[in-house]
This record gives sequence, structure tokens and C-alpha cells, in this order.
Amino acid sequence: MSGFFGFDAALPERRAADQSDRGFHQSQTDQMFTLPNAREEEDLAVYNWGDMGASLMEDGDDFNDETFGGSGPVDQDFQFAPQAAPVASQAPRASANQPRGPIASTASRYGPKKAFDPFAASEDDFYAARPTAKKPSKPAAKPKAQPAPSQGGSLESLWSKPAAPSPLWGATPSTTSQPPLEPRNSQTGPPPPGQIKSLEEIEAEMAGASVSEPPRGPTVVSLEEIERQMMSGSETQPIPLPAPPPREQTPVAPGLAGSGYATQQALLDSMFPELGAHPPSGQHTASFPPGVQGPPSEPSPQQREQMEALHRHISAKIESMSRYNNLMGTSDKDFITRIQLSQLATTDPYASDFYAQVFSALKRSRMPASAEGGDQSVVKISQNFGLGVSGPTGSRFGKMGSATMQKLSGQVKRLVENRALHQKHSNTAALQGALGRVSRGNTAAPRPVLAMPTTTRAEVRPVNQLNQQAGPRRQPLTRKQVMYALEELYDAMLELEQTRRDMPPPTAMEEVQRWNEACAVKVQVIWQRAMVMEPLDVSNPHPFISLMNAVKGQRLFPRLLRHLPEQQALTLLTLLVATYSQLDVVARAPPPPVADASLLTKADRVDRARREVETDNFLHCVVPGVDMLINQCKLGLVAGLLGILLQRSNVAQVASTRPGVALLTALLSRAQSLIRVPAPDPMNPQQVQVPDANELDQWNKTYAYLLQTLLPHLSDLFPSSIAQKAAFGPGAYLMSGAGDVRDGVEMERREAEVWGFAAALAVNAPEEEQTNLVGALRDKILHTVQAARDPSSTPERAQIKLRNVNMFLNGLGLDASMIE
Amino acid sequence: MDHAAAAQISEPLDLVKLALGERVFIKLRGDRTLTGTLHAYDAHMNLVMSQVEESVHIVDVTDAGQPLPPRVERRNVEMLFVRGDSVILISPAQQ
Repeated sequence: MSGFFGFDAALPERRAADQSDRGFHQSQTDQMFTLPNAREEEDLAVYNWGDMGASLMEDGDDFNDETFGGSGPVDQDFQFAPQAAPVASQAPRASANQPRGPIASTASRYGPKKAFDPFAASEDDFYAARPTAKKPSKPAAKPKAQPAPSQGGSLESLWSKPAAPSPLWGATPSTTSQPPLEPRNSQTGPPPPGQIKSLEEIEAEMAGASVSEPPRGPTVVSLEEIERQMMSGSETQPIPLPAPPPREQTPVAPGLAGSGYATQQALLDSMFPELGAHPPSGQHTASFPPGVQGPPSEPSPQQREQMEALHRHISAKIESMSRYNNLMGTSDKDFITRIQLSQLATTDPYASDFYAQVFSALKRSRMPASAEGGDQSVVKISQNFGLGVSGPTGSRFGKMGSATMQKLSGQVKRLVENRALHQKHSNTAALQGALGRVSRGNTAAPRPVLAMPTTTRAEVRPVNQLNQQAGPRRQPLTRKQVMYALEELYDAMLELEQTRRDMPPPTAMEEVQRWNEACAVKVQVIWQRAMVMEPLDVSNPHPFISLMNAVKGQRLFPRLLRHLPEQQALTLLTLLVATYSQLDVVARAPPPPVADASLLTKADRVDRARREVETDNFLHCVVPGVDMLINQCKLGLVAGLLGILLQRSNVAQVASTRPGVALLTALLSRAQSLIRVPAPDPMNPQQVQVPDANELDQWNKTYAYLLQTLLPHLSDLFPSSIAQKAAFGPGAYLMSGAGDVRDGVEMERREAEVWGFAAALAVNAPEEEQTNLVGALRDKILHTVQAARDPSSTPERAQIKLRNVNMFLNGLGLDASMIE
Repeated sequence: MDHAAAAQISEPLDLVKLALGERVFIKLRGDRTLTGTLHAYDAHMNLVMSQVEESVHIVDVTDAGQPLPPRVERRNVEMLFVRGDSVILISPAQQ
């Protein structure tokens, strides 16, 4: 079949040549399909009633009632894929039942039977045969059309035959909304059920719309028009108005006998008798009673009345609905919400929504009054999917009630499951938009409305990410490797914390068992990733210390500690103490403050600030954990830790840093609290744990060693001393006195840490060592007390100074007031 | 140390993940640069940063059309949301 949208695209002269050497079959098909040529060639407004009517028919009206709220409660549940299915499945069925070419014109629809009928089945067919016979450029086509009435014998079949297929058409309710005010439409059969408008149809519709108007004008009244008038006036009259039931009519058409069409009709009728015996009465068939196909004046007055009323009703309805055009209805909003919700669904609602979850948990814990049972933080969509919902005040989705939420989540669940089911294996969803560009997709690979995250992402490891070295000594981790390791640790940590939160009820023994095991496995993973068990000397700094050097790692420390079993926590502590000097905050402690910050370069300032921040962070995150661990140790272990520290690092250097001071103070005070066993408490006999002699002995030895090592440097540990030493030039004079008040107070606070350490040393020291201790700090004590009494120092600072000194002196049973 | 390398790197932004919580240098359209701590990012490179120093590089032009030497205007922002479409470059801050 040639043609573009039904038009013959071939040039006229070539067309003629073509036809000469075509076989019988081909010319037959040409006759069937070249109808549009007639219009094209004649350059006239030719109105082909069969053609236009078919295309003007609206279809796809099956769900009009549903759409416009005509039939009962509308189902809110939009199953889009299933809804599309019937259309797709109907079309093939219709075409299978009715062998035909392009559906645009009735010519093609009735085409096949022409092989058996010597007469034209319809005007279409009649005219379709014309162009093949005549010269294309003839302007006076009207006389040619004249023979139509002369073949009056065919008129009988002309009017009756379109009625024949009506049993089949009767199967569709699509005739309902046919506007009866356009009687022209009723001249032809309705489209096959479920027929999707093809391009040809649309084109024909447009052509028909433009063509149908001119004939009304007084100038261009085509002969066909006149002839139709005549036919409708005279010849069709004899046909009885109430058409015979289609079933009886089918065998009447003699031309159809033996044709595939007829047999199919018969088959269909036998299969669906109730459809075939379709009564011509009632609204549904009003527009297409079998016998009313012909002239416009056919419908009876009351039928017309009915149809008009119906049409008015429908247009009024549409009119009233049109106020809401371009506005979103509830169902539209729900649809959007569903899509949005399904986008939120993740495999791990806690981790991917971590901060909101934690925030809401905190909020809820602060509002005990609103602790209702229904406080749920995650909607489980399916086994692996869920979305976080809880906000601090009930629903995170604002005004939507929980009932709506439930309903929506059900629908989202189905949406997500459906999507996950049909997700292609080669999923690029993870990469889409990864670089900020949102891909549009194309026809070959349409962009999915809903891209489900794939749970399994292939791991791609760049080689340089690995520390490939083996052996007892390796290069320390690079910064990038540290970051990788930390991200992994965080991932594992989030997983573990999530598992912990999902604790099954304590009654379900088996589940608790399984849960415990799962937690243990995850802890083990974390333990490995923390690299604590790497040999102590594997690198400098040790891999674990590398992790702790990053601020991120320091923040992780307390969380890590919470999950580790006691033994592993102690191992961790030992490692940390043993490699304490490798810590950035110790090895590269922030330098003492200078009197005048303007002396520093910008890079210096930034560097100082960064180190200060790291130190603060370390003291804030790591040291409390260390304190806690130390406070669980027995004396032997404390002595051991101190021993390791003394052995593996330069204690003077460690002690001159704030983290070092904090660690030493913690060790000393723990030892002291163990040695000085309080008077046995009758209420709490468990507390009475006299450290055995061995441990005590070991401790005393270690302590003696510490004191001996530290005593010469003791007065140099104070920040003020360090600052004094570092200062030079005029800065040295500025140091002692009236600097910035805030800096001064801060300095005193830091001094206090060291005074506290000195006090811890003092209380642990035996009598004779106490004298040495005071001797070593004598200058410092005197200096501080004098500075406190100096009228030039601010009262606040003086007070702190005195308190600091007293902290130490009181440990020895002395007081600053005793000093002249 | 193999397990240190198990981090999942499958897309460019996985590398940005490594900079989370760290100080980063951001180059923006409109001759702007940022230095600050990166807290969050997304696929569009929207960023949340804290302790940000923003530098705007400006070249003033005299009435005669002569460009003056470029100057830099700086300001500090405690917390900043950066819209992703203006981001040109993300890099770890030079240590």
C-alpha cells in the first residue's frame, strides 16, 4: 500500500505507469486503498460520507462515565498498567475478527468482500474505483460521479450492508456518547471497539472537518451531495424503518455469502447471541439503530429528542467540569504524593534518613507526655523497603491523617514492588543525576518515573585505594585511605546501630538469639575495619591512630566504644595508650599562644586554629571514653597501661600536651581510688576490693619511674611556662601580664589541668617524694601566688590562679595562704 | 589493610563523600570560592557547609573602561547552603 497517511505519495504519471504492470491482486488492493486519491486529484471538495464518518467517530469513551463521575463511586485505586492493558488487548482482538487494512475509511473495511461482489458495496468503493480509470488532471469530476444513481441495483445493498456488522459493534458501549446533533455521523458505523485513533483517522478527521463545511455553502454543492439528497429522499424510503434484527439480516446479504466476513459474523453471532440480538431501543443504541444508517432525517422525533437531551446533559456536565480545568483534584494530588512517597522509600529508612530519625527520637524522649503507642518512626513498605515518617509531632507528612498515610503507604508499597519487579537488571538509576544533569531519556530507553535504588552495587576498588604493602612494616595510611576506612566504619556503624534499634521483644527467645548473633557479626566487622588488631609497630602512626587523627574518627570513637565488648574495649585502650605519642594531637600539639597574633602569617593562624580544634575535639570525644575505660580497670591493668606509656613514648612530651595530661591524670586518679580503699561499706560489700600486693608493688614501681622521669620537666608542663619559653623579643614581656582577659582566663583553665595532674601526682606520691614534688614546683607555686596577689591582675584571673595552686597544695595538706 | 579498602566507589560523588566533615575548597560560578567544612551534599551537588569563608573576586572597571587590579572581597558565614548548579569544583582544602 502506498501513501502517506492514506494519500498516495507517488507522482500521478508514475502512478499510471505503475498500474499498468501490476498484477490482479495488487490492483485490487489499490482499488481498496486509494480512495483518498480521489480527493487529492480532483482538487474538489469531495465529501465521502463513509470515510469521514468513521473518522469522526469518537472512541475511547469506554471510561467516560468513570472519568466524569457518571457511574457510581469512582475507584480511587489507580492501577495504571492494568488499565492500559485492556486497550492494548482489545485492539488486536478487533482486528483479528475483522480482516481489514487501514481503519481510516470504510472502503478499506469493506474491501475484502469486493472480490466477490460485482457491485460496489458502498459509495466509497464505488469512487475508489474511479481514479484508477481516469486521468488524474481532470477538473470536471462531477459528471463522473453521476453514474452512482444509475447503478440503482446496488443501492439496496448500499444501505443495508453497513448494518450487517452492527452485531459486532453492538458489543461496544462506545455509542453512548455519540453526539446525535451531528446526524452525518450516524450515517456510518461506529468504530470498532477499543480502537485507538490512528494517524490516518486523525488526518481524515481534520480533512473531514474542513471538507464538510464548504458543501453547506451555496457555491460548492457537490454532485454527491445532491445525489445523496435524492437518494435519501426517494430510494431509501422503502426500507422499513425499524430495521430487522441484525441476525436475520446477515444471511440476507447475498454478496457476503461465503466470504470470510460473513462466516466471521455468523461465528460471532453464535458466540455472543446476546450481543447480536442487540435491541435497537434505548439510549445506548439510539444513535445507531441498524436501519438508521442512511439519511440524516432517519431518527424518529423522540429518538432525536432523547439524543439531544443526552447531549445537552453531557455538554452541561463538561461545561460545569471545565471550571476546574488545569486544577489538581484530590486524586491528582494523591498521585503526586504517591510518586513522591515512593521516591522516599529506601532499603534502609533509618540510615538514609538518619538525622531526622535521631532528631525525632530526641524530641519524643523530651516529650514523655505524648508517648503514645502508635508512635512509629518508619513505615515498613515491604521486606526491604520503608520510609521514615515520624516527625517530632506525629506525622511528618503534615496534615495528612494517619489513615490517609496508611492508605497511601499501601499504594506506595504496590507501586514500589511493581517497580522493583520490573526493574531492568542493568540499572543506571544510581548514576542518573550523579553529575547534576538530569537525563531526559528517549524512546529507546524512557526515563522511569520511579527509579528504585538497587540494593547491590558493584564494588569498584581503585588500586591506589589499597595499601598493598605486606610485611611487618608498612607506610602509614594515606589521608585518602584513612577517609575510605572511616566512611566504611561509619557505614558499618550505622548498620549496627540500626540493628540494635530493631531489637525484638525480649519474649521471643529465638529472635533475640538471632538478633544477638547479627549484632555480634556486625561488631566483628567494625572491629576489623577499625584495624585495632594490626601489629603495634606496623606503621607510624598505627592505622587505628591514623583513624583517630581525623576529626571524623574522633567523633566515631565514643560510638565505637559503646558497642565493643569489654575485652575488645580494653584492647583498644591498650593500643591507644601504647601509641599515644603517635596521635596528631600529641605529636603535633598546638603551639603555645603568642602575645600578638598579628605576628603570625595567615597559614600559621589557620594551622593553629585547626590544631586547636582537633585537640578540643579529641578532649571532647575521645578522652571521656578513655576515662570511662580506665575507671573499669584494676590496679594491675592501670599500672600496666602506665608502664606501656612510659616505655613507648617520651612521657615529658606527652605530658606537655593537654590530651597527655588528661590521660595521665585519669590513670593516676584511678590508681589512687583503687589504693585508698574506702572504709568497708556495709551496704555495698562488693566495693571492698583490696588490690593484692603484687599489683600494688607493680604500681608503686611504675609510679616511681614516672615521677623520676617527669620531675625535671614538671614545671615546664604548664602552658604558661611553655608560652614563656616560646616567646621571644618583646612578646616575652607581654606574656606575663595584661593580655586579653579572655585569653588569660583560658590560659588559667589550661593551667588548671596541669595543676590537677600535679595534684594527682602528689596524692599518689609517698612522703619523701612529696617533698621533691613541692621542690620541683616551688618556683611555679610562688610565681603563681604572687601573680594572684598582684593588684594588676584581674580578680577573676587571680581567683583561678589561687584555686589552681590550692588544688595541688591541698593534696599535700598545704594551702596557698600559708605562703608569705 | 585490605578491609580498609572496601569502601564502595562506584560514582564520582563517592569521592566527595570522603570529604564529609572535612574542610573543603569549593569553586563557584560568579568568581566565588568557598572554604569551609562540608557537612552534606547530594546528587545535584547542593552542599551544606559550616564555618565558611567566601571570597568574591572582583575586577572593577573605571569609567574609561580601564580594568583596575582585581580585588577580593571576603566574608564569613557560619552555616551555608550552596545550590548545586553553581558548583564548579570541590576539593579537599590544602592542608
